[in-house]
Amino acid sequence: MLGIMLAALGCVAVWQMIGCRKPAAASPAIAIVHEIAPWPARVGAATVTLRLSDAGGQAVSGARIALEADMSHAGMRPEFGEAREIGAGRYQGRLAFTMAGDWVILMRITLPGGQKLEPQMPVKGVRAN
Amino acid sequence: MPTAPSSSSAPAESPAFDLLKVPVIGPFFGWRHARTFLQIPLLIVGIAMIAHGLFGPTLAPKNLATTVSWVHFRGALVLVLLCAGNLFCMACPFMLVRQLARRLFRPRRTWPRKLRNKWLSAGLFALILFVYELFDLWSSPWWTAWLIVAYFASILAIDGIFKHAVFCKFVCPIGQFNFVASTLSPLEVKVRDQDVCVPCKTKDCIRGRRDPSGLVVIQRGCELALFQPSKAGNMDCTFCLECIQACPHDNVGILSRPPASELMTDPRRSGIGFFSRRKDIAALALVFTFGALLNAFGMVSPVYALESWLGRVLHVSHEAPVLGLIFVFSLIVEPVLMLGLAAWLTRVWAGSRRATLPLIVRYAYGLVPLGFGMWLAHYSFHFLTGILTLIPVTQNAVASLGRPFLGEPLWTLTGVPTRFVQPLEMGFLVLGLAGSLLVTHRLAQDEAAPHPVRAFIPWAAICLLLWVAAVWLILQPMEMRATFMG
Repeated sequence: MLGIMLAALGCVAVWQMIGCRKPAAASPAIAIVHEIAPWPARVGAATVTLRLSDAGGQAVSGARIALEADMSHAGMRPEFGEAREIGAGRYQGRLAFTMAGDWVILMRITLPGGQKLEPQMPVKGVRAN
Repeated sequence: MPTAPSSSSAPAESPAFDLLKVPVIGPFFGWRHARTFLQIPLLIVGIAMIAHGLFGPTLAPKNLATTVSWVHFRGALVLVLLCAGNLFCMACPFMLVRQLARRLFRPRRTWPRKLRNKWLSAGLFALILFVYELFDLWSSPWWTAWLIVAYFASILAIDGIFKHAVFCKFVCPIGQFNFVASTLSPLEVKVRDQDVCVPCKTKDCIRGRRDPSGLVVIQRGCELALFQPSKAGNMDCTFCLECIQACPHDNVGILSRPPASELMTDPRRSGIGFFSRRKDIAALALVFTFGALLNAFGMVSPVYALESWLGRVLHVSHEAPVLGLIFVFSLIVEPVLMLGLAAWLTRVWAGSRRATLPLIVRYAYGLVPLGFGMWLAHYSFHFLTGILTLIPVTQNAVASLGRPFLGEPLWTLTGVPTRFVQPLEMGFLVLGLAGSLLVTHRLAQDEAAPHPVRAFIPWAAICLLLWVAAVWLILQPMEMRATFMG
């Protein structure tokens, strides 16, 4: 009985290792190019610039983008911001990295057609001042 | 030198506070199913953590597995150990699984004699700290979930094969942490009146009770082999409270005692023996103390500079060997050098007649309060500054099931501002230093040395040195990075 239980657990482990994991983000035919200034990122305010384009390379205008920066460790306060369109398909917003370490920026994008995306942008090794 | 029975095993001089006499709480802890009552919700939480860790968001701050494990559980654990006792072991959900498993299969083997000590568990404790840093467990819900699963599987395997509470006593790293930390707890499960135990012939507190046929266990005794009348302190006590249920004279209570008192004396302890002769428990105490500093060191900026420097010097680009080197230095080389020097001074300068190793073993326990102060400072920081994050993470987990009846996640909820928590951290460190100085001073006084003050000074110097290191660590800007070598 014990052997069967442990074997079953092993099968679940293998199944988990092989696959069946959620992708980190949805992958529609929208390309997102991002840029953070200053770079390398430092503790303090940062400017996030995004360029959205469709499968044909055309700029995607009229999207709404909410930004959220989280630490890699649970229990830390996230930072919020909003990216506004500053040119055709170009969006810019500000966030604050409140401490050094690894951050992840979540982008909650609502496309003009109502489609929603939630890609993540890792920002590793934000440096102390 | 081993001492005569301590206050722990002597009749209580003055009536101690007894938790079992407190209205509502007392009857609850005296209730036969109190443990199960506490285990069930924790088991449900554990299952939810595993499920969310494996199938939920991959970002640690959004996941129950990482949030509950690394923010809430650890913080609540050390605060409960400080304010009460080893209540987590009492409510341990893993044990509930073991109980259920024992209905399916009957363990028949006895744990190998060579493993009946703390060497394995001290090594596993160090290994968990190493794995935590190497795989950045705090940032991985998936790995955290698998760690919990591995725990359940280990218990099923070990306690499914071996009789008694082998996993708790000889394997469980969390349990060993709790055992060492609970030497500083204000509550202890112990006999109310030693005189009542003297004529006792049945010794139900350790043997348990069987039905008249002798085949069916009606009431378990202590599975960790602690015989109440000669039990001294909290080491190895899981607060399972079986002894309270088993005692036919209602002579076991949850009594108050001065924290750390059990570290100052050296009676023969039931199920343990003399602390001064247990090199394995002393090693566990050192892993506990130096591991506290190391675990905090892994979260501040200088560790990254050190790793990068070591990587360049050794021409190594992988993290494991560099991290391994830091661990070997911090948990073996550094304690051996520091305590070896202090022991040598105690012999040469203070005239102690003990050999160096027995001196190291005896005084190692004196560093436990300092280590606990560091664990408290570190874990209470994460717990208090992130205490409210459990709310949005739970809201998010419930919403992901398609029924957001807890509302939209309130991600702005965090916890107590850092500026309020830092004085508390300092307070814990001061408390730890005071405790360590008190214990080492008492040990030096009891030392059969002609110069107790001279015996105290080297150990006090170690305490101060470690305390300065702890304060320095707390004052460093925190930097939680998963890219050590980057």
